Amino acid sequence: MRHIIAILLQNEAGALTRVAGLFSTRGYNIESLTVAATDDPTVSRITLVTRGSDAVLQQIANQLLKLIDVVGVEDLTDGEHIERELVLLKLRLEPGESDAVRGYVVRAGGRVLDPSPEGFVVELTASEAEVSAFIAELGRGRDTFEVVRSGALGVSRAGRNLRLVR
Amino acid sequence: MSDTVIMPRPQAHPLAGRTMTGAQMIVQVIADEGVSAIFGYSGGAILPTYDAVSLHNEAQRLAGGREVPLIVPANEQGAGFMAAGYARSSGRVGVAIVTSGPGATNTVTPIRDSMADSVPIVVICGQVPTAAIGSDAFQEAPVASIMGSVAKHVFLVTDPTKLEATVRTAFEIARTGRPGPVVIDVPKDVQNWQGEFRGEGTLPIPGYRRRMDDSSACALDEAGAARFFDLLGASRRPLIYAGGGVTNGSAAGALREFARAFDLPVVTTLMGIGAMDTTDPLCMRMLGMHGAAFANYAVEDCDFLITVGARFDDRVAGVPQRFAAKARAIAHLDIDRAEINKVKRVQWSHVGPLREALAALTAAGRRLGARTDNAAWRAELAELRRVHAMNYDRESPLIQPYYVIEEIARLTHGEAIVSTGVGQHQMWAAQYCEFREPRLWLTSGSMGTMGFGLPAAIGAQVANPDRLVIDIDGDASVRMNIGELETATTYGLPVKVVVLNNFGDGMVKQWQKLFFKGRLSASDKSLHKKDFVRAAQADGFEYAVRLDRKADVPRVVREFLEFRGPAFLEVIIDPDAGVYPMVGPGQSYDKMITGDFIAARSAPPPDAVAPDSSEMF
Repeated sequence: MRHIIAILLQNEAGALTRVAGLFSTRGYNIESLTVAATDDPTVSRITLVTRGSDAVLQQIANQLLKLIDVVGVEDLTDGEHIERELVLLKLRLEPGESDAVRGYVVRAGGRVLDPSPEGFVVELTASEAEVSAFIAELGRGRDTFEVVRSGALGVSRAGRNLRLVR
Repeated sequence: MSDTVIMPRPQAHPLAGRTMTGAQMIVQVIADEGVSAIFGYSGGAILPTYDAVSLHNEAQRLAGGREVPLIVPANEQGAGFMAAGYARSSGRVGVAIVTSGPGATNTVTPIRDSMADSVPIVVICGQVPTAAIGSDAFQEAPVASIMGSVAKHVFLVTDPTKLEATVRTAFEIARTGRPGPVVIDVPKDVQNWQGEFRGEGTLPIPGYRRRMDDSSACALDEAGAARFFDLLGASRRPLIYAGGGVTNGSAAGALREFARAFDLPVVTTLMGIGAMDTTDPLCMRMLGMHGAAFANYAVEDCDFLITVGARFDDRVAGVPQRFAAKARAIAHLDIDRAEINKVKRVQWSHVGPLREALAALTAAGRRLGARTDNAAWRAELAELRRVHAMNYDRESPLIQPYYVIEEIARLTHGEAIVSTGVGQHQMWAAQYCEFREPRLWLTSGSMGTMGFGLPAAIGAQVANPDRLVIDIDGDASVRMNIGELETATTYGLPVKVVVLNNFGDGMVKQWQKLFFKGRLSASDKSLHKKDFVRAAQADGFEYAVRLDRKADVPRVVREFLEFRGPAFLEVIIDPDAGVYPMVGPGQSYDKMITGDFIAARSAPPPDAVAPDSSEMF
């Protein structure tokens, strides 16, 4: 089963490598991984998508919590949560196609960031499935130059907060 | 208020406020931690710290203070294992200091070994100057990346103002929770930096500290204890399965009290040897691949298995689903939450420090009036022990290794520290030595590192100058770090090194005979030219003797052990002596073979499906 795991991590040299290394040495897979600083400059947040049975996910969480610079771990899939992914797509458009494509992008909830036909760049923020459908739709019969996905980001709904409390 | 306690202000460090170099701060914090010796090898990138050790000791000498002597090995791997031997035998954090590049990479093996056996050591590595990092500089290695995957934690110190706190934090991490090795990578400019010594302070590691606090606060509650004693009450054949976590958690006393309070027999893992006094009638000795037959039968027969600081490793539970198959319930106590349900699903568990948990269980059981007698089960076990006792070919004209170890055990009364290499001699020592206390048995359990025995013995002798320390080694294992023979004589450490020579890699040969039709690929050393006795003499051993006549065993073993100073004994043993019993890799206990001299309970059933050869490791 697919799980989204959020990890709060101290911003230390090598901390990200240790998290990634734990997955590779113990044979867990990583489908996507994003990392960036939080409002607390000493703490980064990783969002990681993996697959595994409940037992494997329990092991992943327990092993992550043994890393010294891990501040907290939450399997967002355990509860109500919101999940979003950003994609940037660069396409080549045929002459006269621009309006139709723009129309699709806007209906899908995306935006056109660069309208030049030789490098038509669009953006969408949506669920992972919607992003995949969006990429498939725009790529149909058309040259796709670049597909840039952020990987999933997630946050739990009200009631649970993953945050370093000082 | 009458119960107000006025806490005395902690006294400021006498050197607080003093300007020091980074190197001096490293040495000062090490001294503050109570470390009584440093193991290590110098080199370009660590020179400032070696200079600081020397200055520190000179100042201490003048002031009549305590010096921190340096023990210099032949190879940095030796330094790492000496630090580990120091830590394993004393329970204190061992320290190794090495230079960058090859100095650091030579310690990878002892660091991984210490991680795998949960041994607290701190390894300080010099590193090329900060500005040169990443430039492929001379003697540069990516220590943080390499060690990050083998150590409990690694620090790369780039901000010199954090150096002092980093060293202190490394000790904290090494010894707390499930202990382990911590590496500090210190660029040379950080060692040469000058700043104010604060004499206090650690790094913020909020996640780790909170988990440590939660774990130590996690007392065993009344309901949990009651459920445990319900399971125990329902069982007729309860058995404790104790591992290295008992020793690491200083819980041997609590384990013994718990076992005696409720008349619970104990089997131990290789790492758990000594947690229970091996001469105690409740001690059913080692289980597993080369466990005693009666210990493995006890595991097969038990109906309630109480796992304490052990982890169902593949050498114990080759087939986890068939391990302790008659147990209607398994309990598991461990400091490490990740070990619960990792290999084997259990019905009752508690995560926290073992000493407190066992003491709480003992108290709860007494309160609940739990059964204190398992006479029928104990009688069954006594019979298993009698019928399936350890034994060997006592009539053979060749020297049997078991005989030599029995003699050592007879003369040392379970009070000597014994280290080993890895292989047959290690298993024989585990089977035939006696240990009255924990921390006397030093062996590379999880990693299985050949070459562990000699440097570990040296480290243990440094930590325990008045104890008899014996390295029971094999001819192949001792070769791996044989350069450390000289270290023993250089420092006048009276370690006793006995090499059971069967001219090759005995355990490898045993597997080749069993699984590779006897083709002894690369494991036979009978044509090698090595003269161990002359090698020991060349390294300054005044006692270096070859023992090859069975009749001489009692006399020579005695004079060897009684020699004042480092002593070396090579024993030419029966090259065909095997390690029995044996549960083949990837097999369950009902497939145990016991050899020609230990009675088996029944012939092992024929294999319906032989395990795949790649499952045999």
